[in-house]
Amino acid sequence: MTSTRILTRRRLGANSAVSHVANPPRRRRRTRGFVHVAGAVAAERLRLNMFGHAYMAVGAVVIVLLFYLAIAAQITQASYDITRLQDQQRQLIAEQDQLRYQEVTLHAPAQVQQQAAQSGMQRVVPSSYVQGTEVAVDLEAPVGASASDTTPLWLRAVALVVNTVGGTRDVQAATKH
Amino acid sequence: MSTRALSARRPGTVDRVGSARLRVLSMLALAIVLAGMVWSRLAYWQVAQHGRLTVQAQAQYREFVQLPAMRGAVFDRNLTQLVVNTTVYSAFVSPDQIVAADRDRVATGLAGVLGVDQAKVMTTLQSSSKFAYIARRFPKAKADKLRTLKLPGVGLQEETQRSYLPGIASGTTLAANLLGFVDWNGAGRYGLEEKYQKVLAGTPGYISSYRDLSNREIVLGSHTHQDPVPGSDLVLSVDASVQYAAEQALAEGVKRDKAESGSVLIMDPATGGIVAWADYPSYNANDFNHTDAALFKDNVLSYVYEPGSVMKVVTLSGALNAGAITPTTVINDPGYLKVDGFWIYDWDRRNHGNIDYTYVLEHSLNVGAMKAMLAVGHDAYYKNLQAFGLTQPSGIDVAGESFIPLPSAAQMQDAQYATTSFGQGIDVNMVQMLAATNVVANGGKYAPPHLVERMGTQINPLLLQSQRQVITPATAAKMTAMMEQVVQKGSGWTSRIRGFELDQAGKTGTSQIPVNGKYTQDVWTSFVGFLPAQHPKFTMLVVVRKPHYPGSERDWTLNDGYMTAEPIWKQIAQTIVVDWHITPDPH
Repeated sequence: MTSTRILTRRRLGANSAVSHVANPPRRRRRTRGFVHVAGAVAAERLRLNMFGHAYMAVGAVVIVLLFYLAIAAQITQASYDITRLQDQQRQLIAEQDQLRYQEVTLHAPAQVQQQAAQSGMQRVVPSSYVQGTEVAVDLEAPVGASASDTTPLWLRAVALVVNTVGGTRDVQAATKH
Repeated sequence: MSTRALSARRPGTVDRVGSARLRVLSMLALAIVLAGMVWSRLAYWQVAQHGRLTVQAQAQYREFVQLPAMRGAVFDRNLTQLVVNTTVYSAFVSPDQIVAADRDRVATGLAGVLGVDQAKVMTTLQSSSKFAYIARRFPKAKADKLRTLKLPGVGLQEETQRSYLPGIASGTTLAANLLGFVDWNGAGRYGLEEKYQKVLAGTPGYISSYRDLSNREIVLGSHTHQDPVPGSDLVLSVDASVQYAAEQALAEGVKRDKAESGSVLIMDPATGGIVAWADYPSYNANDFNHTDAALFKDNVLSYVYEPGSVMKVVTLSGALNAGAITPTTVINDPGYLKVDGFWIYDWDRRNHGNIDYTYVLEHSLNVGAMKAMLAVGHDAYYKNLQAFGLTQPSGIDVAGESFIPLPSAAQMQDAQYATTSFGQGIDVNMVQMLAATNVVANGGKYAPPHLVERMGTQINPLLLQSQRQVITPATAAKMTAMMEQVVQKGSGWTSRIRGFELDQAGKTGTSQIPVNGKYTQDVWTSFVGFLPAQHPKFTMLVVVRKPHYPGSERDWTLNDGYMTAEPIWKQIAQTIVVDWHITPDPH
């Protein structure tokens, strides 16, 4: 089924085919770009001619150039600062080396001995024995409990139960500490 | 113009066209030649000379700075630093950059700070040279003073210097002959510095960068950078305190004995690590450029000598190990022995009658040593020398080892076998001799002598290897007992340390010095010993060269080891006993 509206459009299209192609597309952008509009407005207000555009372009280039130069100057300055700091670092390392040598020299045997001599210290050679006291030991005596142990039998029996280690006076003496 | 006239010109026209073409061709040829010359010249500069021009161009705007690697430090066994890297400065001038009006100020400033001759500096400044050193290798304090003066045309150059610890006297540094030194080009010379040059030096790096018109580096410009790899640190088996004590005792001993020189070598019996390595006279490694080059020689390793009776330890150990003799085997010693047509005597030329081998060692009798050698046989004796490491270099990790090889077993004459048995006719260095006698202290095993325990974080592979068994532990124990008798009853009596009299082993040695094939009255004297005898903590060899002990002109035996080398040994041993808290073994 074909509506009358469509038919009308077909009819119109058949008649004006050439002009339809030449015309811009029907669906246009209703709004232009901001930059385009702003540029057009500025151009309209400033009434810039061709020279004006050229001046603007040159101005923009100069601004970019100045910006580049500023950055380059900062970079160069930074590089000089780094060089100066490296030089300072070298000097500090040199000072550190000097201090390390002084420290090592202070602990060197020569210095230690010199200072010990100044303090009146002497290296003592262990040239004496500890005097011992002679003790009479009867090597023939039987090994075992001393015959002079007078601990009562009942106490020994209790100790056997209470003290897991066994023994009597030795254990008691040990537990006193 | 008539046609006739025209026709008359035709041949001429042809000529003119021909000559014009010729001119064009000749001009073309000329142009080609000229262009060819230019092109060839361009090709010459751009192709043939490309490399050279590139280098020249880069030299104008590129800077190649070598970054020296930090040389590794050297520590002793207790991590006491023996060598420190310090920064020193050299001052130079560029006379062409100093205007005439400033010359006087520059010369005065340099002379005032650096202490150089002002007139000489002035002469340098007036010269047409572009670069000249004014003073080299001075400390930072002077450099700082010079900086504050801001003298035109004067520059400072940083250099690294090795600084060594002070020694026993103001003119010496600690262990100078052992460590060696590093020359101004950064190359290790002598001793450990030379032996471990590659390990210590590391790998230098570099920076390749641009520089500005003021010749300052543009750090943030494009550049290539290779970091240097620092050298490895060395940890030695040396004990700095013992080293100092050894140098001190040696210097006193050599002066007292009026000797030419002396050396001390101390070893850890179990590992073979060198504990002390002392020479006298020595030198100041911090001032090597003003030192007599003869003093650089290290007599411990670079000086070969005939060890004398210390060799009897090796001879008798081999014979004991072979079962040819025992400590109680009795021989007859008439005081001489005729070998290969030569009469060879004991040192005292006395008839000792029937004696055992313990007595032979106690009294250092040559006839006994020769009889032990004969009992074991020439071939077995030669193998014994090989086993004890006396027929090849010690291989210790210090530069400059001297070694005189023995003739082969077949080439050795009977007389040489005989004299070798008591330490004459054989040349060894001190490291070889100490390592050989240390076999007895180490339970019969040969501990390879070495200095370096660690390189960086790497342990010396020598320490991880199993040691070679030269003689059985039982033989070592027997020889130890015999050497104890030397100290208790024989020639080692002057080395006795109170508290260790029964627990100390040793052997003296005295040998005449041959000159032009004849023995002279000058001697090498030595003493080797270890303690405690049963569980030794150190083995020590002392050698004194050409002593002239007071009174020796009347009694030549005063020059022997017991009067010259032994007291030095004793003094050092006492220090070690105290420092290392050594106690005698219980008996």
